[in-house]
Amino acid sequence: MQPAPEHIAQALAPATSVVETVAETEPPATANAPAVTAAPASVAQSVAAERPVRPKAEARLYGTRTLGQWIRLVVLLGVGAVAAAAILVLAARGVTTLPGVPEFLARYPGEYSPPAAAESGFPWWAQWAHFMNIFMMVLIIRSGYQVRTQQKPPAFWTPKRGGKKISINLWLHQSLDILWLVNGLIFVMLLFTSGHWMRIIPTSWEVFPNALSALLQYMTLDWPVETGWVNYNSLQQLMYFLVVFIAAPLSAITGVRMSEFWPKNAKTLNKIYPVEVARAVHFPTMLFFVLFILIHVFLVFSTGALRNLNHMFGGTDVVNWVGFWLFAAAIAITVAGWYAARPIVLAPIAKLFGQVSSR
Amino acid sequence: MKIIVLVKEVPDTYGDRKLNLETGLADRGASEAVIDEIGERALELALTYADANEGTEVALLSLAPEGATATIRKGLAMGAGSAIHVSDEALRGADLGLTAETLAAAVRRVGFDLVITGNVSTDGSGGMIPAMLAELLDVPHATGLSSVAISDGGVSGSRPVDAGVQTVSAKLPAVISITEALPGARFPNFKGIMAAKKKPLELLTLADLGITADNPEAARSIMLTVAERPPRAAGVKIIDEGDAGEKLADFLVENRLA
Repeated sequence: MQPAPEHIAQALAPATSVVETVAETEPPATANAPAVTAAPASVAQSVAAERPVRPKAEARLYGTRTLGQWIRLVVLLGVGAVAAAAILVLAARGVTTLPGVPEFLARYPGEYSPPAAAESGFPWWAQWAHFMNIFMMVLIIRSGYQVRTQQKPPAFWTPKRGGKKISINLWLHQSLDILWLVNGLIFVMLLFTSGHWMRIIPTSWEVFPNALSALLQYMTLDWPVETGWVNYNSLQQLMYFLVVFIAAPLSAITGVRMSEFWPKNAKTLNKIYPVEVARAVHFPTMLFFVLFILIHVFLVFSTGALRNLNHMFGGTDVVNWVGFWLFAAAIAITVAGWYAARPIVLAPIAKLFGQVSSR
Repeated sequence: MKIIVLVKEVPDTYGDRKLNLETGLADRGASEAVIDEIGERALELALTYADANEGTEVALLSLAPEGATATIRKGLAMGAGSAIHVSDEALRGADLGLTAETLAAAVRRVGFDLVITGNVSTDGSGGMIPAMLAELLDVPHATGLSSVAISDGGVSGSRPVDAGVQTVSAKLPAVISITEALPGARFPNFKGIMAAKKKPLELLTLADLGITADNPEAARSIMLTVAERPPRAAGVKIIDEGDAGEKLADFLVENRLA
C-alpha cells in the first residue's frame, strides 16, 4: 500500500488520460537509485517473457546441501575421524615398540622434576585470572567473529573525543581486549613476583624430549598420570607457556595493529609491520586458542574432573564437588555475559565512553 | 507545540532491493524493512527540540502496509509520543498525489504546528511529497534544510542551493523537509523500548480519512512497464598508438558525447 517507488504507480484511472504523467525516464547512464526506470510505451516489452524459468520442485537446501547430503557428510566425516584416530593410536603404539623407544620413554617419562623452589598448588589470584580469562575469552572470540562476519552491525559507537565510527561489536571486542590485557599483565606480574612462573616456564632443556614422550603417551591412549597440583607434564608446560607468552601477546599485537589505536601515519613502522601481516595472523591465532580450549577442557574432564576443577576453581587438591560448583557458577556467569552482550544492554555502557548511533 | 514527523518504511539499502516485475511494486519480502534513514533524522530533529522544550508533542505519521507496525514502534522507542499508521488495501501502488492527499487528511485530523519530513526517500526517490503536502495543507514550506531552528512561532533554517546557501524562515504552522546533513538517529534505550509498547498507535483506513482512492475524476500516475536494469556492459579500451586523441574524439562523436 505504500507508494514504493512512487513514480511507478498502478492504473487507477483510464490509461489514455495519464500516459504523459509517466514520462519520468532517465538516461540509463545516470540511473542510480531506482533499479527500474519506466520505459515509454512504444518500447514496452513483454514482461512475462523475462521471467526466469523455475526448475521443478527442488529438494530443500540447508546451507549448501540437502538433509540427506548433510547426514551422509556427517556420517562420512565421523567414520573418517574414527578411522584416522585409530590409525594414529595404532601407529603410536607401533612406535613405542621400535628399538630404543621404550628406553627413551623410561629416560624421559613425560615430566622433569621442578626446581626445589617451585610451590605447588594454585594461588587465589591465578584462579581469579583464570575465571576472568574464561569469561572474557568467550566474549572476545564471539565479538571478534561478529566483527568479521556481520555486514550490518546493529549499532555503532563513536569515541567521545571524536574519531572513527566503529561497530558496537568492535567496541565490545576492543574494550574487552583492554580488560583482558590488564588481567593478563597483573597475572604475569604476580606470576613472576610469586615464583609460580616456574610452573609454566620451562626451567630445563629436558622439557622438549619429555614433551615428545608425553605426546607419544597421549597418542597411545596410555596417558601420563595427571599431577597438575605439583608439576605439569612437559607437554602441558609447553602449551601453557605457548598460550600465555606467545599466543596472547601475538593476538594483542596483531589486534592493536588493525585497531584505531595504531599510529596510522608512522610510515617506516607501517612498512616494517604492514597491516596485512596482522590481518593474516590474528584470525589463525584465534583458531589456535579455540583448539587449545577444546583440548584443555577435554583433558580436564577426562583426567579426573572433580580433582582438576578443585585445583583451578576451589584451590585445593581434594576430590569433592566444591570446585565443580564453582566451575558451574563461572560457566553460568559466562553464559549470562553471552546473553547480555546485545545492543540493548551494550548501548548504555558504550554511551558512557562515546556516542551510540544506529547507523 | 505539536510536531508531526513523517516516517516511511522502506527496503533496507544495505541489501539488494527488488521490484516485482509484474506489478512494478517494491518486493517487500526481498529485503529487510526499516524506517528510512532520512525519516529517522527528521524524528531526531523533533526529539531534540522536544527534549529542550517541555510541552512539545511529537507524533509519527506513516502510510505503510499493515505489517509496518513493528517498524513504526521503533520510532516510538526512540521517543515519539504517539503514532498514526494509515493502511488500506486501496493504497497499494498509490502515486504521489494520492499519497499526499491521504497524508494531508491524516495531518489535518490530528492537528499540527510543524510537519517535519525527509527531503527524499531511498526507495521511491520522488522527493515531492513534502511540497505536495504543504500545498494541500495550505501552509508555508521550507525544503531541503541542512540546519533548522524551531522557535515558538516560527521555523528557520539554511538551504544549500547551487550558488550558495539560503537562509529561509516561515511562520508556523509550516511543513519543512530536511537533508541528511542533520544528525543521525539516537539509539533506542531499554526504557524507550518498554515504553513504546504502551504508547498510542492509531491505525487509520481511507474511510476514516474520507479519501476515495479510485476517484475517476482525479488524475493518477500509472506504471506501464517495468524491466530489470540491464547488467553493466564492458567499456571500450583505447590504447595509445599515437592516435589516441583521434580515437577519443571519434568515440565521443560516435556516442554523441561531444
